[in-house]
Amino acid sequence: MANAPEIHERAELTQVRVLDAPRDVVFRAWTAPAQMAAWWGPKGFSAPVCEMDARPGGRIFILMRGPDGEDHPMAGRFEEVAPPDRLVFTGWPEDGQGNRYAENHVTVTFEDEPGGKTRMTVVSHAVAFVPMGGALGKEMDRGWNESYLRLDALLMKDKR
Amino acid sequence: MAQYDRLSATLSALADPTRRAILARLALGETSVTDLAEPFAMSLPAVSKHLKVLERAGLIARGRKAQWRPCRLEAAPLEEISSWLEHYRRFWDQSLDRLADYLEARKDESDGERP
Repeated sequence: MANAPEIHERAELTQVRVLDAPRDVVFRAWTAPAQMAAWWGPKGFSAPVCEMDARPGGRIFILMRGPDGEDHPMAGRFEEVAPPDRLVFTGWPEDGQGNRYAENHVTVTFEDEPGGKTRMTVVSHAVAFVPMGGALGKEMDRGWNESYLRLDALLMKDKR
Repeated sequence: MAQYDRLSATLSALADPTRRAILARLALGETSVTDLAEPFAMSLPAVSKHLKVLERAGLIARGRKAQWRPCRLEAAPLEEISSWLEHYRRFWDQSLDRLADYLEARKDESDGERP
């Protein structure tokens, strides 16, 4: 087994959304490739390639394309697939040379809400194997900067 | 979980314009609470409350020695948040917004099929 790569940065997030669709429908939006391709990625991004084999150990490959036309490939693997309750997968975003520069572990749980709605909780943990503030971070910036929050700009605006 | 809490603390600390103004002032240098409070139409306890939020979020540090406990900006969480974490949060926020829109559109479609 290869040595564990050095971890430069970590990010963790928990997001909860109540969606106006029953659990099985929301679950399928995460496991049917054509459906996932319709929403995965920030605004302005598309997913021209989306392949997934939704069973434990099943492979994932998503090619995300930025508004500037730049491609962001991500390989992945399903860890747990328990419809319509719980989905766990790991994703590895790759740079242009096929090197995995980060690992993203995602747990999604789906709970019934009154009125045929679903409470979806997304817990995501990411680690970066490269310093994200460096060249690669700037590389990513180019595709994403249209609505990028620049704190210094925010502070300047407040000061007027 | 601890890291997530820190991130939420940082983001919610930054959500308030008064606290951002305090940070902007501290970007110019170390300051006493009295001096910080001056430009704001606010009592010292109210300013102290904002400072506690900023301190908990790790955005400022306060001197322990001097009586007047000077406040200073801590740059690390700001740098962090304006870089990768912010990317990450935005990736998920916007993807999940798009998922909600997608489900909404599908619902409208199937409503149309069964008038």
